[in-house]
Amino acid sequence: MLVLVLGTLLTVRLVTTTRAWERTAADWEDLARTHGTQLAQAQTDLEAAHAELADTQTQLATAQQRITELADEKARLGDTTASQQQLADYQARVSQAAGQVATALANCIDGQERLIGYLRESDRYDAADLERFATDVDRVCGAATDANASLQRELDR
Amino acid sequence: MTGRRRTRAAVAVAVLVACAAPTGCAALPAMPAPVPTSVVPSRDPAAAPTSSGNLSPDGFDAAQRMAVRIRNIGCGSLSTGSGFAIDANTLVTNRHVVEDSATLQLSTYDGRDVAATAASTAGLADLAIVRTADPLPAAPELADADPVTGDAVTVVGYPLGQRLTITTGTVLGATTDPLNVNLGEVLVTDAPVEPGSSGSAALDADGRVIGVVYAKDEQGYSFVVPVSTLRSMLDDESAFTAAPTCS
Repeated sequence: MLVLVLGTLLTVRLVTTTRAWERTAADWEDLARTHGTQLAQAQTDLEAAHAELADTQTQLATAQQRITELADEKARLGDTTASQQQLADYQARVSQAAGQVATALANCIDGQERLIGYLRESDRYDAADLERFATDVDRVCGAATDANASLQRELDR
Repeated sequence: MTGRRRTRAAVAVAVLVACAAPTGCAALPAMPAPVPTSVVPSRDPAAAPTSSGNLSPDGFDAAQRMAVRIRNIGCGSLSTGSGFAIDANTLVTNRHVVEDSATLQLSTYDGRDVAATAASTAGLADLAIVRTADPLPAAPELADADPVTGDAVTVVGYPLGQRLTITTGTVLGATTDPLNVNLGEVLVTDAPVEPGSSGSAALDADGRVIGVVYAKDEQGYSFVVPVSTLRSMLDDESAFTAAPTCS
Protein backbone atom coordinates (compact mmCIF):
# COMPACT_ATOMS: atom_id res chain seq x y z
CA MET A 1 0.00 0.00 0.00
CA LEU A 2 2.79 2.36 0.95
CA VAL A 3 4.61 1.57 -2.26
CA LEU A 4 1.48 2.47 -4.23
CA VAL A 5 1.19 5.82 -2.53
CA LEU A 6 4.81 6.57 -3.10
CA GLY A 7 4.50 5.50 -6.76
CA THR A 8 1.64 7.89 -7.20
CA LEU A 9 3.65 10.69 -5.67
CA LEU A 10 6.48 9.94 -8.06
CA THR A 11 4.10 9.97 -11.02
CA VAL A 12 2.69 13.33 -9.93
CA ARG A 13 6.21 14.67 -9.61
CA LEU A 14 7.12 13.51 -13.13
CA VAL A 15 3.96 14.97 -14.65
CA THR A 16 4.55 18.30 -12.89
CA THR A 17 8.11 18.42 -14.13
CA THR A 18 7.08 17.59 -17.69
CA ARG A 19 4.45 20.33 -17.77
CA ALA A 20 6.92 22.84 -16.36
CA TRP A 21 9.34 21.94 -19.15
CA GLU A 22 6.55 22.27 -21.72
CA ARG A 23 5.73 25.78 -20.46
CA THR A 24 9.39 26.70 -20.49
CA ALA A 25 9.82 25.41 -24.04
CA ALA A 26 6.85 27.46 -25.14
CA ASP A 27 8.25 30.57 -23.45
CA TRP A 28 11.61 30.01 -25.11
CA GLU A 29 9.91 29.68 -28.48
CA ASP A 30 8.03 32.95 -27.89
CA LEU A 31 11.28 34.62 -26.93
CA ALA A 32 13.01 33.21 -30.01
CA ARG A 33 10.21 34.44 -32.27
CA THR A 34 10.33 37.87 -30.67
CA HIS A 35 14.06 38.15 -31.24
CA GLY A 36 13.64 36.72 -34.72
CA THR A 37 11.15 39.47 -35.51
CA GLN A 38 13.49 42.07 -34.05
CA LEU A 39 16.39 40.65 -36.07
CA ALA A 40 14.37 40.78 -39.27
CA GLN A 41 13.43 44.40 -38.54
CA ALA A 42 17.04 45.25 -37.76
CA GLN A 43 18.16 43.66 -41.03
CA THR A 44 15.51 45.64 -42.91
CA ASP A 45 16.64 48.83 -41.17
CA LEU A 46 20.26 48.02 -41.97
CA GLU A 47 19.48 47.49 -45.63
CA ALA A 48 17.58 50.77 -45.69
CA ALA A 49 20.50 52.50 -43.97
CA HIS A 50 22.93 51.00 -46.51
CA ALA A 51 20.75 52.25 -49.36
CA GLU A 52 20.51 55.68 -47.74
CA LEU A 53 24.27 55.76 -47.24
CA ALA A 54 24.83 54.87 -50.89
CA ASP A 55 22.46 57.68 -51.93
CA THR A 56 24.23 60.10 -49.62
CA GLN A 57 27.62 59.11 -50.99
CA THR A 58 26.35 59.66 -54.52
CA GLN A 59 24.95 63.03 -53.52
CA LEU A 60 28.24 63.94 -51.83
CA ALA A 61 30.21 62.99 -54.94
CA THR A 62 27.85 65.06 -57.08
CA ALA A 63 28.07 67.99 -54.67
CA GLN A 64 31.88 67.80 -54.64
CA GLN A 65 31.99 67.71 -58.41
CA ARG A 66 29.65 70.69 -58.58
CA ILE A 67 31.72 72.61 -56.02
CA THR A 68 34.83 71.97 -58.09
CA GLU A 69 33.02 73.08 -61.25
CA LEU A 70 31.71 76.23 -59.58
CA ALA A 71 35.16 77.03 -58.18
CA ASP A 72 36.57 76.61 -61.70
CA GLU A 73 33.85 78.81 -63.21
CA LYS A 74 34.43 81.47 -60.59
CA ALA A 75 38.20 81.36 -61.13
CA ARG A 76 37.82 81.69 -64.89
CA LEU A 77 35.35 84.51 -64.43
CA GLY A 78 37.98 86.19 -62.26
CA ASP A 79 40.55 85.66 -65.02
CA THR A 80 38.20 87.19 -67.56
CA THR A 81 37.41 90.11 -65.28
CA ALA A 82 41.10 90.74 -64.63
CA SER A 83 41.84 90.48 -68.33
CA GLN A 84 39.01 92.88 -69.20
CA GLN A 85 40.17 95.27 -66.51
CA GLN A 86 43.63 95.24 -68.02
CA LEU A 87 42.11 95.89 -71.45
CA ALA A 88 40.01 98.72 -70.03
CA ASP A 89 43.08 100.20 -68.34
CA TYR A 90 44.98 99.91 -71.62
CA GLN A 91 42.20 101.58 -73.55
CA ALA A 92 41.99 104.33 -70.96
CA ARG A 93 45.73 104.93 -71.26
CA VAL A 94 45.49 104.98 -75.08
CA SER A 95 42.52 107.31 -74.98
CA GLN A 96 44.30 109.61 -72.57
CA ALA A 97 47.42 109.58 -74.71
CA ALA A 98 45.37 110.21 -77.86
CA GLY A 99 43.61 113.11 -76.15
CA GLN A 100 46.95 114.59 -75.16
CA VAL A 101 48.17 114.22 -78.75
CA ALA A 102 45.03 115.92 -80.08
CA THR A 103 45.31 118.79 -77.59
CA ALA A 104 49.01 119.27 -78.24
CA LEU A 105 48.48 119.16 -82.00
CA ALA A 106 45.66 121.69 -81.77
CA ASN A 107 47.92 123.99 -79.74
CA CYS A 108 50.72 123.45 -82.26
CA ILE A 109 48.51 124.19 -85.24
CA ASP A 110 47.03 127.24 -83.54
CA GLY A 111 50.51 128.56 -82.72
CA GLN A 112 51.76 127.91 -86.23
CA GLU A 113 48.74 129.68 -87.77
CA ARG A 114 49.30 132.65 -85.54
CA LEU A 115 53.00 132.65 -86.36
CA ILE A 116 52.20 132.57 -90.07
CA GLY A 117 49.92 135.58 -89.59
CA TYR A 118 52.60 137.44 -87.69
CA LEU A 119 55.20 136.66 -90.33
CA ARG A 120 52.94 137.97 -93.11
CA GLU A 121 53.00 141.30 -91.32
CA SER A 122 56.45 140.99 -89.90
CA ASP A 123 57.25 144.64 -90.41
CA ARG A 124 54.64 145.47 -87.75
CA TYR A 125 56.33 143.32 -85.06
CA ASP A 126 59.62 143.32 -83.32
CA ALA A 127 61.95 140.69 -84.78
CA ALA A 128 63.02 139.52 -81.33
CA ASP A 129 59.40 139.03 -80.28
CA LEU A 130 58.73 137.01 -83.44
CA GLU A 131 61.78 134.87 -82.78
CA ARG A 132 60.61 134.23 -79.20
CA PHE A 133 57.11 133.37 -80.38
CA ALA A 134 58.49 130.99 -83.00
CA THR A 135 60.51 129.26 -80.26
CA ASP A 136 57.38 128.90 -78.16
CA VAL A 137 55.53 127.39 -81.11
CA ASP A 138 58.38 124.93 -81.64
CA ARG A 139 58.15 123.92 -77.97
CA VAL A 140 54.38 123.39 -78.21
CA CYS A 141 54.78 121.35 -81.39
CA GLY A 142 57.58 119.38 -79.72
CA ALA A 143 55.17 118.52 -76.90
CA ALA A 144 52.76 117.25 -79.54
CA THR A 145 55.52 115.08 -80.97
CA ASP A 146 56.30 113.71 -77.50
CA ALA A 147 52.63 112.99 -76.84
CA ASN A 148 52.40 111.15 -80.14
CA ALA A 149 55.48 109.09 -79.27
CA SER A 150 53.86 108.20 -75.94
CA LEU A 151 50.70 107.15 -77.76
CA GLN A 152 52.70 104.97 -80.13
CA ARG A 153 54.41 103.29 -77.15
CA GLU A 154 51.03 102.50 -75.60
CA LEU A 155 49.80 101.11 -78.89
CA ASP A 156 52.86 98.88 -79.15
CA ARG A 157 52.25 97.30 -75.68
CA MET B 1 12.16 -12.29 7.72
CA THR B 2 9.69 -9.64 8.83
CA GLY B 3 12.51 -7.35 9.91
CA ARG B 4 14.15 -7.56 6.51
CA ARG B 5 10.87 -6.63 4.76
CA ARG B 6 10.47 -3.65 7.04
CA THR B 7 13.97 -2.48 6.25
CA ARG B 8 13.36 -2.66 2.46
CA ALA B 9 10.08 -0.77 2.79
CA ALA B 10 11.82 1.91 4.83
CA VAL B 11 14.52 2.32 2.17
CA ALA B 12 11.90 2.50 -0.61
CA VAL B 13 9.97 5.14 1.27
CA ALA B 14 13.11 7.17 1.83
CA VAL B 15 14.01 7.04 -1.86
CA LEU B 16 10.50 7.91 -3.03
CA VAL B 17 10.17 10.78 -0.59
CA ALA B 18 13.53 12.16 -1.66
CA CYS B 19 12.63 11.91 -5.35
CA ALA B 20 9.17 13.43 -4.82
CA ALA B 21 10.66 16.47 -3.10
CA PRO B 22 10.82 19.73 -5.18
CA THR B 23 14.55 19.46 -5.64
CA GLY B 24 14.16 15.89 -6.86
CA CYS B 25 16.78 13.24 -6.90
CA ALA B 26 19.58 13.05 -9.40
CA ALA B 27 17.85 10.33 -11.40
CA LEU B 28 14.82 12.50 -12.20
CA PRO B 29 14.81 15.60 -14.48
CA ALA B 30 15.07 18.87 -12.59
CA MET B 31 12.49 21.63 -12.85
CA PRO B 32 13.35 24.12 -15.63
CA ALA B 33 14.91 27.46 -14.84
CA PRO B 34 12.71 30.50 -15.43
CA VAL B 35 12.82 31.88 -18.99
CA PRO B 36 14.50 35.30 -19.17
CA THR B 37 12.66 38.21 -20.80
CA SER B 38 15.57 38.83 -23.18
CA VAL B 39 18.71 37.03 -24.19
CA VAL B 40 20.25 40.01 -26.00
CA PRO B 41 23.61 40.61 -24.38
CA SER B 42 24.10 44.01 -22.86
CA ARG B 43 26.76 46.17 -24.52
CA ASP B 44 28.55 49.35 -23.66
CA PRO B 45 27.40 52.45 -25.54
CA ALA B 46 29.66 53.39 -28.44
CA ALA B 47 32.21 55.96 -27.43
CA ALA B 48 31.69 59.35 -29.04
CA PRO B 49 34.59 60.28 -31.34
CA THR B 50 36.87 62.80 -29.71
CA SER B 51 38.21 64.12 -33.03
CA SER B 52 37.55 63.83 -36.73
CA GLY B 53 40.98 62.26 -37.31
CA ASN B 54 41.85 62.38 -40.98
CA LEU B 55 38.24 62.77 -42.05
CA SER B 56 37.47 65.86 -44.04
CA PRO B 57 34.58 68.06 -42.93
CA ASP B 58 33.27 68.27 -46.47
CA GLY B 59 34.38 65.03 -48.10
CA PHE B 60 37.28 66.55 -50.05
CA ASP B 61 40.54 64.86 -49.27
CA ALA B 62 43.51 66.67 -47.79
CA ALA B 63 45.35 66.76 -51.12
CA GLN B 64 42.56 68.82 -52.65
CA ARG B 65 41.99 70.99 -49.61
CA MET B 66 45.60 72.18 -49.46
CA ALA B 67 45.75 73.23 -53.14
CA VAL B 68 45.62 76.93 -53.99
CA ARG B 69 45.09 78.57 -57.37
CA ILE B 70 47.21 81.65 -57.99
CA ARG B 71 46.35 84.45 -60.42
CA ASN B 72 49.27 86.73 -61.20
CA ILE B 73 48.01 90.05 -62.54
CA GLY B 74 51.03 91.80 -63.97
CA CYS B 75 51.47 95.07 -65.79
CA GLY B 76 49.76 94.16 -69.02
CA SER B 77 50.01 90.42 -68.42
CA LEU B 78 47.91 87.74 -66.73
CA SER B 79 48.98 84.23 -65.76
CA THR B 80 47.88 81.46 -63.44
CA GLY B 81 49.73 78.91 -61.36
CA SER B 82 49.31 76.52 -58.47
CA GLY B 83 50.48 76.35 -54.89
CA PHE B 84 49.87 74.49 -51.68
CA ALA B 85 49.61 75.38 -48.02
CA ILE B 86 52.37 74.47 -45.60
CA ASP B 87 50.66 76.06 -42.62
CA ALA B 88 47.54 78.05 -41.87
CA ASN B 89 48.75 81.27 -43.47
CA THR B 90 51.64 80.26 -45.73
CA LEU B 91 51.72 78.61 -49.11
CA VAL B 92 54.53 77.43 -51.34
CA THR B 93 54.67 77.88 -55.09
CA ASN B 94 57.24 78.64 -57.79
CA ARG B 95 59.18 81.84 -58.11
CA HIS B 96 58.13 82.24 -61.73
CA VAL B 97 54.48 82.00 -60.71
CA VAL B 98 54.54 85.07 -58.47
CA GLU B 99 57.30 87.29 -59.83
CA ASP B 100 56.63 90.45 -61.85
CA SER B 101 53.12 90.82 -60.49
CA ALA B 102 51.11 93.89 -59.63
CA THR B 103 48.56 91.82 -57.74
CA LEU B 104 48.34 88.20 -56.59
CA GLN B 105 44.90 86.67 -56.21
CA LEU B 106 44.43 83.32 -54.48
CA SER B 107 41.49 80.93 -54.39
CA THR B 108 40.97 77.58 -52.69
CA TYR B 109 39.61 74.24 -53.91
CA ASP B 110 36.05 75.33 -53.08
CA GLY B 111 36.30 78.71 -54.79
CA ARG B 112 36.93 80.84 -51.72
CA ASP B 113 39.10 83.90 -52.29
CA VAL B 114 42.06 84.28 -49.95
CA ALA B 115 43.90 87.59 -49.69
CA ALA B 116 47.67 87.51 -50.18
CA THR B 117 49.63 89.80 -47.90
CA ALA B 118 53.20 89.26 -49.09
CA ALA B 119 55.23 87.17 -51.50
CA SER B 120 58.90 86.30 -51.33
CA THR B 121 61.07 84.32 -53.71
CA ALA B 122 64.11 82.11 -53.32
CA GLY B 123 67.27 83.06 -55.15
CA LEU B 124 68.70 79.57 -55.51
CA ALA B 125 65.58 77.62 -56.49
CA ASP B 126 62.34 78.14 -58.37
CA LEU B 127 60.45 78.48 -55.10
CA ALA B 128 58.37 81.19 -53.51
CA ILE B 129 56.38 81.72 -50.35
CA VAL B 130 53.12 83.65 -50.16
CA ARG B 131 51.62 84.78 -46.88
CA THR B 132 47.85 84.98 -46.61
CA ALA B 133 45.55 87.10 -44.48
CA ASP B 134 42.94 84.37 -44.17
CA PRO B 135 43.59 80.82 -42.96
CA LEU B 136 44.07 78.13 -45.59
CA PRO B 137 41.86 75.00 -45.37
CA ALA B 138 44.54 72.36 -44.81
CA ALA B 139 48.29 71.89 -44.85
CA PRO B 140 50.13 68.66 -45.67
CA GLU B 141 53.17 67.22 -44.00
CA LEU B 142 56.56 67.50 -45.66
CA ALA B 143 58.30 64.18 -46.29
CA ASP B 144 61.49 63.57 -44.33
CA ALA B 145 63.55 62.59 -47.38
CA ASP B 146 63.49 62.77 -51.15
CA PRO B 147 61.78 59.91 -52.99
CA VAL B 148 63.73 57.26 -54.84
CA THR B 149 63.33 56.03 -58.38
CA GLY B 150 60.13 54.07 -58.81
CA ASP B 151 58.23 55.74 -56.00
CA ALA B 152 54.65 56.72 -56.75
CA VAL B 153 53.94 60.42 -57.09
CA THR B 154 50.67 62.36 -57.13
CA VAL B 155 50.43 65.91 -58.42
CA VAL B 156 47.60 68.20 -57.32
CA GLY B 157 47.14 71.51 -59.10
CA TYR B 158 45.39 73.66 -61.66
CA PRO B 159 46.78 72.75 -65.11
CA LEU B 160 46.11 75.47 -67.69
CA GLY B 161 44.37 77.43 -64.95
CA GLN B 162 41.46 75.04 -65.18
CA ARG B 163 39.75 72.95 -62.52
CA LEU B 164 41.62 71.29 -59.69
CA THR B 165 43.15 68.10 -61.06
CA ILE B 166 44.98 65.14 -59.59
CA THR B 167 47.45 63.21 -61.77
CA THR B 168 49.68 60.31 -60.85
CA GLY B 169 52.97 58.86 -62.01
CA THR B 170 56.28 57.56 -60.76
CA VAL B 171 59.63 59.08 -59.98
CA LEU B 172 61.97 58.36 -62.89
CA GLY B 173 65.13 59.64 -61.22
CA ALA B 174 67.12 62.76 -60.47
CA THR B 175 68.93 65.05 -62.88
CA THR B 176 70.56 68.43 -63.09
CA ASP B 177 68.11 71.23 -63.67
CA PRO B 178 67.56 71.61 -67.44
CA LEU B 179 66.44 75.20 -66.90
CA ASN B 180 69.34 76.09 -64.62
CA VAL B 181 67.09 77.84 -62.14
CA ASN B 182 67.66 75.45 -59.25
CA LEU B 183 70.77 74.69 -57.29
CA GLY B 184 71.41 70.95 -57.07
CA GLU B 185 69.49 68.12 -58.63
CA VAL B 186 65.80 68.01 -59.40
CA LEU B 187 63.44 65.06 -59.73
CA VAL B 188 62.02 63.78 -63.01
CA THR B 189 58.58 62.14 -62.99
CA ASP B 190 56.10 60.94 -65.60
CA ALA B 191 53.13 62.50 -63.81
CA PRO B 192 51.36 64.64 -66.45
CA VAL B 193 51.49 68.39 -65.85
CA GLU B 194 50.67 71.45 -67.93
CA PRO B 195 51.42 75.16 -67.81
CA GLY B 196 49.52 76.34 -64.76
CA SER B 197 50.61 73.27 -62.82
CA SER B 198 53.73 75.12 -61.75
CA GLY B 199 53.82 75.26 -57.97
CA SER B 200 51.74 72.10 -57.56
CA ALA B 201 52.58 69.81 -54.68
CA ALA B 202 54.06 66.43 -55.58
CA LEU B 203 52.91 63.93 -52.96
CA ASP B 204 54.00 60.44 -52.00
CA ALA B 205 51.69 57.50 -51.32
CA ASP B 206 51.11 58.73 -47.77
CA GLY B 207 50.08 62.21 -48.90
CA ARG B 208 53.32 63.86 -47.78
CA VAL B 209 54.98 66.50 -49.93
CA ILE B 210 58.03 65.18 -51.78
CA GLY B 211 58.55 68.19 -54.01
CA VAL B 212 57.21 71.13 -55.98
CA VAL B 213 56.45 70.88 -59.70
CA TYR B 214 58.12 73.65 -61.70
CA ALA B 215 58.53 72.55 -65.34
CA LYS B 216 57.88 69.96 -68.04
CA ASP B 217 59.70 68.98 -71.21
CA GLU B 218 58.71 68.02 -74.74
CA GLN B 219 58.51 64.33 -73.81
CA GLY B 220 55.87 65.10 -71.20
CA TYR B 221 58.14 64.50 -68.22
CA SER B 222 57.63 66.79 -65.27
CA PHE B 223 60.39 68.31 -63.17
CA VAL B 224 60.10 68.68 -59.44
CA VAL B 225 62.10 70.66 -56.89
CA PRO B 226 62.81 67.97 -54.27
CA VAL B 227 61.56 68.33 -50.72
CA SER B 228 65.14 68.40 -49.40
CA THR B 229 65.72 71.63 -51.32
CA LEU B 230 62.39 73.00 -50.11
CA ARG B 231 63.27 72.13 -46.51
CA SER B 232 66.71 73.73 -46.71
CA MET B 233 65.20 76.90 -48.17
CA LEU B 234 62.48 77.05 -45.53
CA ASP B 235 65.06 76.54 -42.78
CA ASP B 236 67.13 79.47 -44.07
CA GLU B 237 65.23 82.72 -43.54
CA SER B 238 67.69 84.61 -45.72
CA ALA B 239 66.92 82.34 -48.67
CA PHE B 240 63.78 84.29 -49.48
CA THR B 241 63.55 87.95 -50.43
CA ALA B 242 60.58 90.10 -51.39
CA ALA B 243 59.20 89.05 -54.76
CA PRO B 244 59.94 91.47 -57.60
CA THR B 245 56.87 93.32 -58.81
CA CYS B 246 56.17 95.01 -62.11
CA SER B 247 54.86 98.28 -60.73
